[in-house]
Amino acid sequence: MHAIRVDGLTKRYGDHVAVDGIGFTVEQGEAFGILGPNGAGKTTTLEMIEGLRPPDGGEVEVLGRRVWPDPRAVQGRIGVQLQSTTLFDRLTSRELLELFARFYDRSDGPDRAEQSLRLVGLESKADAYPEDMSGGQQQRLAIALALVHDPDVVFLDEPTTGLDPQARRNLWDVIRAINQEAGKTVVLTTHYLEEAEELCDRVAIMDSARVIALDTPAGLVASLGADVRISYVENGQERVDYVPDAQAAVLELLERARRDGSRIESLLVRGPSLEDVFLRLTGREFRE
Amino acid sequence: MNIGRVAATTAAQLKMMFRRRIVLFWSLLFPIILMTLLGLLFGRSVGAGTITVLDQAHTPGAAAMITALRHTSGVTVKQDSESVASARKQVQDGNRDALLVLTKTGSGPTSATLYYSNASATQAGIMKGIVFGIASRVSVATSGGPPAVSFTQRSVDSSALDYVDFLMPGILALSIMISAVIGLATVLVDWRKRGILRRLKLTPMPLSEFLTSRILASLSLALLQVVVLIAFGAIAFGVHISTTAWAAIPIALAGALCFLVMGFTIGSLTSEPETADAVTNVITNPMMFLSGTFWPVAAMPAFVQSIAKVLPLYYLANGLRDTIVRGQGLVEVLPDLAVLLIVTAALAVVSLRTFRWE
Repeated sequence: MHAIRVDGLTKRYGDHVAVDGIGFTVEQGEAFGILGPNGAGKTTTLEMIEGLRPPDGGEVEVLGRRVWPDPRAVQGRIGVQLQSTTLFDRLTSRELLELFARFYDRSDGPDRAEQSLRLVGLESKADAYPEDMSGGQQQRLAIALALVHDPDVVFLDEPTTGLDPQARRNLWDVIRAINQEAGKTVVLTTHYLEEAEELCDRVAIMDSARVIALDTPAGLVASLGADVRISYVENGQERVDYVPDAQAAVLELLERARRDGSRIESLLVRGPSLEDVFLRLTGREFRE
Repeated sequence: MNIGRVAATTAAQLKMMFRRRIVLFWSLLFPIILMTLLGLLFGRSVGAGTITVLDQAHTPGAAAMITALRHTSGVTVKQDSESVASARKQVQDGNRDALLVLTKTGSGPTSATLYYSNASATQAGIMKGIVFGIASRVSVATSGGPPAVSFTQRSVDSSALDYVDFLMPGILALSIMISAVIGLATVLVDWRKRGILRRLKLTPMPLSEFLTSRILASLSLALLQVVVLIAFGAIAFGVHISTTAWAAIPIALAGALCFLVMGFTIGSLTSEPETADAVTNVITNPMMFLSGTFWPVAAMPAFVQSIAKVLPLYYLANGLRDTIVRGQGLVEVLPDLAVLLIVTAALAVVSLRTFRWE
């Protein structure tokens, strides 16, 4: 049984197609990333899978059950951290977690609150109000709330957006722990290439409402058919080449430049990344 | 409905409510301040004011009325004017609050005419009530046969009440309204705008249970208001509490429910907290002045009186006053209760149809 199966999923807003007939599957225990620039349709896709937004076409199954038309059937087994949820004022982290455990009709609220706080590393803020916590801590609390009923699948919508680099790295550790130690299927959206490479077993790249590529980060990079990315500025012009052999390519470039009498102002040689995959597929730079 | 879940959520709602100082200010401290200010300004010591009495009848009935007026707390009786014209001028100039002229023509009853100024509507209303009340008592007491003093029988508020007795239930009604409407209108818009409602939608907790818990928490607050404000009125101002005051509880709960649903309706129809606040003010402010909270509705012009009778706050204030200080039981205030519940039901239909998660 797949953790998630999506087929022909479509959402329109008037004439605008936000999600255009996409399909993919997510296996149980997998960390699955949906990567794309802002406005690509990532959040809308997630919301249709979570049962927040009804699709205009296509099918969604979570843990073998259809999400629509009655999302309540799967909502007890999924945990969701929304992109922009603020929480009730004047309830401490612990109180919020115990309240949410009650929403799921669990009688072991205090234990679950304790465990969720530990999993996201927020034990020291158990008795603090969310409005008094930092952005990174609030985000970890939102993730703890998604975990409090011990769900099988966890959805994280741009979990690190707006966090400073340190807080982002801390959160990556949390997300790895949820996936690898707690053994939960994790589906996350991100517009950070690095984050997708770092955290995900497989990545679906979305652009303009469609999935344009889907593979492991290594597989996506390998699909470029090149081991090395050479970028350089020649006579004020920026150029990028993908080549199999770094040494041969650099020698050839410098040779040609000397022959032509042109000037190489800078030269950067590195292994290709998901950024290059996006550039190759769309012809556009991936702007964060 | 999952009782355990609703109970736990209600407890959380109460925590959220009582940890916000502003809620406690509007629901308890503000009415206490208001009652203190108005009570000190217009309360027992000042009362209805000063009345000039011109006795041109010299009948036992007239004498009995003057005696009764002299024994009414808050009323100062003056008999220093020579003519009706000069005495009327004093009322017009605001030196006296009212003028009572007692006359007798032929063998008819003593006739009592009250002159007052609409410039001070509150005092005029109270004075009217007192004089009519006394006239009716004297009439019954001094004659077995034809009435000794003629009067126009009409129901006037506060006939036997001190102003603070009148004021306390009015302020209680007002504070229940404010807490309930604000307690749901702005909060609902805020929850929606900040995505809290969407987050709830992702849990198995049904909206009905969530709203029930909020309503139960708000009703608890209303009960606390009833107890605290009655106690404050009785202790600080010696308000006379009737033995039927317990019947104020169902009235207060029905009133709170009515205004909670009104708040829910406003919250469903608006998208921004500022708009919700503005709509709340537009609806509650006129109601506050037209519903007989601070002064008797009977003291207001006839067309205003007819407006008052379509406002739910009028029925809440009336029901609370009847039960807390006028000694009326639950049966007598059933009509008020019924009106509040009917308005609640009508608003509930509107709000459930217009409710939005986001």
